[in-house]
Amino acid sequence: MDTAVLIEVVIIIIKVMIVAGVLFNLPIPLTWIERKVAGHIQSRLGPFRVGPHGILQPVADGIKMLLKEDIVPEKADKFLFKLAPLIALVPMFLIFVAMPFGESVTLPYVDKEITLYISDMNMGILYVLAVSGLSVYGLMLGGWASNSKYALLGGLRSAAQMISYEVALTFAVIGVVMISGSLSLLDIVKSQYGGVFNWNVFYLPVGPVWFVIFVIAGMAEMNRIPFDLPEDEGTLGAGFHTEYSGMRFSFFAMAEYIAMTSIAVLTTVLFLGGWDDPFGTGILPGIFWLMGKVAVLIYFFMWIRFTIPRYRYDQLMNIGWKILIPVSMANILVTGFLKIWVP
Amino acid sequence: MGAMKKPFSIAGLIKRIFFLDFVKGLSLTLRHTVSRSVTLRYPDEEKWVPYKRFRGRHTLNRDERGKELCVACELCVKACPTNCITVVPVEDKNGRGISDRVASVWTVNLVRCLFCGYCEDACPTTAVRLGRDFELACSDKSCTFFTKEELLVPQRTPEYFKGGVIVKARLGRDKVKGVPVIVPYFEEQKPDWWLRAK
Repeated sequence: MDTAVLIEVVIIIIKVMIVAGVLFNLPIPLTWIERKVAGHIQSRLGPFRVGPHGILQPVADGIKMLLKEDIVPEKADKFLFKLAPLIALVPMFLIFVAMPFGESVTLPYVDKEITLYISDMNMGILYVLAVSGLSVYGLMLGGWASNSKYALLGGLRSAAQMISYEVALTFAVIGVVMISGSLSLLDIVKSQYGGVFNWNVFYLPVGPVWFVIFVIAGMAEMNRIPFDLPEDEGTLGAGFHTEYSGMRFSFFAMAEYIAMTSIAVLTTVLFLGGWDDPFGTGILPGIFWLMGKVAVLIYFFMWIRFTIPRYRYDQLMNIGWKILIPVSMANILVTGFLKIWVP
Repeated sequence: MGAMKKPFSIAGLIKRIFFLDFVKGLSLTLRHTVSRSVTLRYPDEEKWVPYKRFRGRHTLNRDERGKELCVACELCVKACPTNCITVVPVEDKNGRGISDRVASVWTVNLVRCLFCGYCEDACPTTAVRLGRDFELACSDKSCTFFTKEELLVPQRTPEYFKGGVIVKARLGRDKVKGVPVIVPYFEEQKPDWWLRAK
C-alpha cells in the first residue's frame, strides 16, 4: 500500500478517536452545568458538596450508575431491551462524522495540512438528517421491549413526536439549502463567511423564521422540556425508560446530551456561520468561535428547559402540524422568490 | 365542551409571533440566575442559630458557685407526657451539716422526648432548661440517652446570645456524639435570611 494513503487512513482514525472521546466525555461536564443552571435559576446553588462547587458530582453520579443493579424485567424482550440504549446512542455519534468543525489547520513541525472534519460529504446534511432520525428507534424499541404500559406509551409518543417534528426540521434545512445553494455542510458554512450579517440567521426576512423553526423542531428532536413528552413523568412514570436502571439508563441520558450538542452544532453550522468570526477581527482561531456559539446555544437550551413547562400532548401536535409546517411551507415560497428576484 | 375560543386580536398575534411571553419568562429566570441564592450552606460554612425561645436539647444548670440546681424533686418526671426523663434521688453526704437531696441519675431519652418544655415549666429551681442544640443525629444509639454529666456541660450556644441569625460554622467530626457543627465564633449576618428568597 502507498504510504500516503496509509497516513491518510491513520489521520482519519485519529480524528474519529478524538471526536468519539470528546463526545463520550461531554455528558460529564454537561450534567454538572445543567444542574448548576437549574439550581441558580431556582435561586439555589446546585451541587456543592462533591469537590469545589460540586464539580466532581458527575463522577459520583457515574459511580452510582455503574454500581446500580442492572434490572431486566422478566417479561421484557431481553434482546431488544439491551439493544435499545445502544440504538439510541450510536446514531448520535454517527452524526458527527459529517459535522465540520473548521476548514483546515497546518500542523507545526511536520508541515501537514489537516482538515477539521472527518468527512466532507457532498450531501452531508441529508446524511445528518437520516442518521439522526435513526435514534428514535432506540426510544421506540426501548418502550416496546420493556413490556410496560408506561414505557410503551412513551415509545409511541416519541414516534409520533419525531414524525411531526422531523418534517418541520427538514423544511428548515431545505430553507438553508436554498439560501446557501449547497447540501454540503462545509459549503453551507463557506457561503456564510464575512461577518455576522452574512449568516443565514440574518438572511432577512426569512432567515430568523427558519432559525426559530429549526430550534423549536430541534428541541423536539432531542426530547427535552418543553417537548419531552416521551418521558413525561407527570403522566407516564418515566416514559420509555421507566424500566431501565443503571448504565442502560445513563446511556439514554448520554444520548440526550449528545443530541443536544449535535443540535447545537448543527444550528451553529446552518445558521450562525459555523466557525466564522462575527466581527472579522481574526483574533481567535475559528474552532473557538464554533465552540463559543455551541456553548451559548447549549446554555440557551438549558435555560429554556427550566423556564417553560412541558406542553400538553395535543398542544405538541398542534404546534407541529398546524403552526410549524404551514409556516415553513409559506417560508419556502418566500425564500424561493427571494432567491430568484434578489441577486 | 371545547376550550373557550379567545377573540382574535392583532396585539395577541404580534405577541405570539415575537414570543413575547417567552421573553418575559426567560428574563424572569435570568434575573433569578444572577440573584443571590437562598441556600443555607449548612454543615460546611453557615449555620442557623435559633432564637432564645427555641426548645432544643435539655441542659442542666448550676448556680453561680457551681453547685447543681437540681433538687431531684421529680416534678419534671411527673410533668413529662412521654415519660422520657428518669430521676433517681439520693442524699448528698458532702453537704455541710444538712444533707441535700440531689439526683444521682438524671437521664433523658431524646428519642421519646417531644420537646414540649413541660419539664422546664415544672422545675421549681430552673435547673432543667431546653437549650438550643438541635443537632441530635448520630449513627448509633449513643446519642439517644443523655446522662447528667453530659447535660451539665454548657451548650455551645451561650445563654446570652440572642439568636435568630446565621453564623459561620464548619463541619467537625466527633466519634462520640455524631457530627456536630462547630461554631468557631459568632458573627452576625443578615438576621432575616429567608427574606433573601425575594
